[in-house]
Amino acid sequence: MTVKHSERRYSEVTGRAVLYAILIIVAIYYLIPLAIMISTSFRDMNDIRFGHLIDLPSSLSLEAWRMAWSEVQIGARRQLGLRPYFINSLLITIPAVTISVIVGALNGYVLSFWRFKGSNIFFALLLFGCFLPFQAILLPQATVLGKIGLSGTIPGLILTHVVYGVAFTTLFYRNYYVSLPGELVKAAQLDGAGFWRIFWRIILPLSTPITVVAVIWQFTQIWNDFLFGVAFSSPRSQPVTVGLNNMVNSSTGEVRYNVDMAGAIIAALPTLAVYIIAGKYFVRGLTAGSVKG
Amino acid sequence: MANLHIDNVHKSFGDTHILKGINMDIADGEFIILVGPSGCGKSTLMNCIAGLEQATTGRIIIEDEDVTEAMPKDRDIAMVFQSYALYPNMNVWKNIAFGLEIRKMPKDEIASTVERVADLLQIRPLLKRKPSQLSGGQRQRVAMGRALARDPKIFLFDEPLSNLDAKLRVEMRTEIKKLHQRLKTTIVYVTHDQIEAMTLANRIAVMKDGMIQQFGSPQEVYDEPVNLFVAGFMGSPSMNFIRCKVMEHQGEAHIRMEVDGKDYNLPIPKQEQAVRQRIGQTVILGIRPEQITHVIPQQDAGPNMASVDGKIIVTEPTGADTLTLIRMNDQEVNCRVHPREAKEPGETMTFMINMDKAIFFDPETEDRII
Repeated sequence: MTVKHSERRYSEVTGRAVLYAILIIVAIYYLIPLAIMISTSFRDMNDIRFGHLIDLPSSLSLEAWRMAWSEVQIGARRQLGLRPYFINSLLITIPAVTISVIVGALNGYVLSFWRFKGSNIFFALLLFGCFLPFQAILLPQATVLGKIGLSGTIPGLILTHVVYGVAFTTLFYRNYYVSLPGELVKAAQLDGAGFWRIFWRIILPLSTPITVVAVIWQFTQIWNDFLFGVAFSSPRSQPVTVGLNNMVNSSTGEVRYNVDMAGAIIAALPTLAVYIIAGKYFVRGLTAGSVKG
Repeated sequence: MANLHIDNVHKSFGDTHILKGINMDIADGEFIILVGPSGCGKSTLMNCIAGLEQATTGRIIIEDEDVTEAMPKDRDIAMVFQSYALYPNMNVWKNIAFGLEIRKMPKDEIASTVERVADLLQIRPLLKRKPSQLSGGQRQRVAMGRALARDPKIFLFDEPLSNLDAKLRVEMRTEIKKLHQRLKTTIVYVTHDQIEAMTLANRIAVMKDGMIQQFGSPQEVYDEPVNLFVAGFMGSPSMNFIRCKVMEHQGEAHIRMEVDGKDYNLPIPKQEQAVRQRIGQTVILGIRPEQITHVIPQQDAGPNMASVDGKIIVTEPTGADTLTLIRMNDQEVNCRVHPREAKEPGETMTFMINMDKAIFFDPETEDRII
């Protein structure tokens, strides 16, 4: 009996060990490229030129970061470095995320609690937007932006991202709201609250988990977007993804790996930050259990 | 505090007709219970009264004011939902105060109202808690508190006790009854628990398929059901329905009943003239289990008393009575006998039937024969 019991205990431990071993290997596999990027970005060019391509920095040099951020010549642009592109990306992403999340929440609220004739068809049509490939809307959207005078501008890019993103945010919020008891809205109506007050006072406070999901999704999509950024922008409104691409491709002479790596990390930092900050709230929202009626 | 007048209300969703002409006159301070099986339209009717759904045709009048087109907030109605529908993001205090805030009640008045209601329902220690930190019974109280605080013209209760366990349900039932006696506000209360219906109501409306089958006092609905559905729905265990023939015996109409191979002629009460004329026809005899008992001396001599010998198939002791299953006309019949008198399954005992309380239904229309 005792032998069997301890055997089972050990088999459980071994299973755990194998599981963790696999997880650690996979994690290392994914982290190695990042580690190389970080390490390379802190090396100076001499070090790279005369040493191995993959190596630890012999001395910590911030030169490559400064170059990528504000000194490297990208295309024929007068302002140097990735900074103007980075600012463009912020100017595009923050309003686009805000607007598309708010509109998505409102759409979801209406489609869940204030159904109208044909609201299901409306929702189904909206869902088509989720399946539309980016490429399919390039030409029509370019025409639309030209007609309303927004081609090559930041508001034009915001509009494009909002239109494309609302399909997703609506889907998120609608599917979240249908899981909330509809009687909440009825109770609030009888308490005398109207459409907006119910939204602000009852529904929105319950939406933290799905808002975090929607924000992470939209932020990553819009920040990392390249196709819209390259198609609908002028040199003055290009986002950081386009800037990074131009920087890597337009270098003359030798390839400055350290500057390229630093630039790539700069371009990726905001999405990383959003995951780290919002991810915490996401888990908190899920575990609080405050939604349970 | 108001009367409520429902005038020929219809409600359809596309081709599905949920309510098919509801008429009700409810006096000020009455406690009305709507009962019926799921899907009979009782919740839709509640929503129409509350204004959460618009009646397709017909009128709803509260205190002589036509509110058919009015928004829910303008009807001055409070509702307690089956799921309680407490706002999860607000604590109990805010849940109760929400409706008062919207109605722009002054702050100090809100505070005193919340405290008064909290004392009434004994939830004062809970005021700072969130709904997720409350038990089912406590949530139920808070939901009632939210309704009470508004001091509305009419209360609507939509199966408020169905999520509570049996013991708590009985306690809350008594509390609701006490509350009504104290506040005397008009209440419309939906339930599918017919004991709740019997104990609480001034009048019961039995609904089926979007129509009111019968609207009367609990005793009326229990003793004088208008059709087979009402008779079967009210009462637990439900009324026995036995198909049988009206036959002439010694110059009088009788019910011919076969019990374990022996024929009996059961008397038909004088007041059931319409049944007595149906000689040779099949009718459905409806008789409640408590009208078929062991023989009680002194009571078995009445003109409409009969006795039969039946072989017991199954017994179900409930403590107060023992339910005994026998067969009459080859159909199972529940009888309610005193535990001491009940015999064992397989044995035969004599049952006394009180035909005075028998009710007869037409097998075709399923309506009571009158």
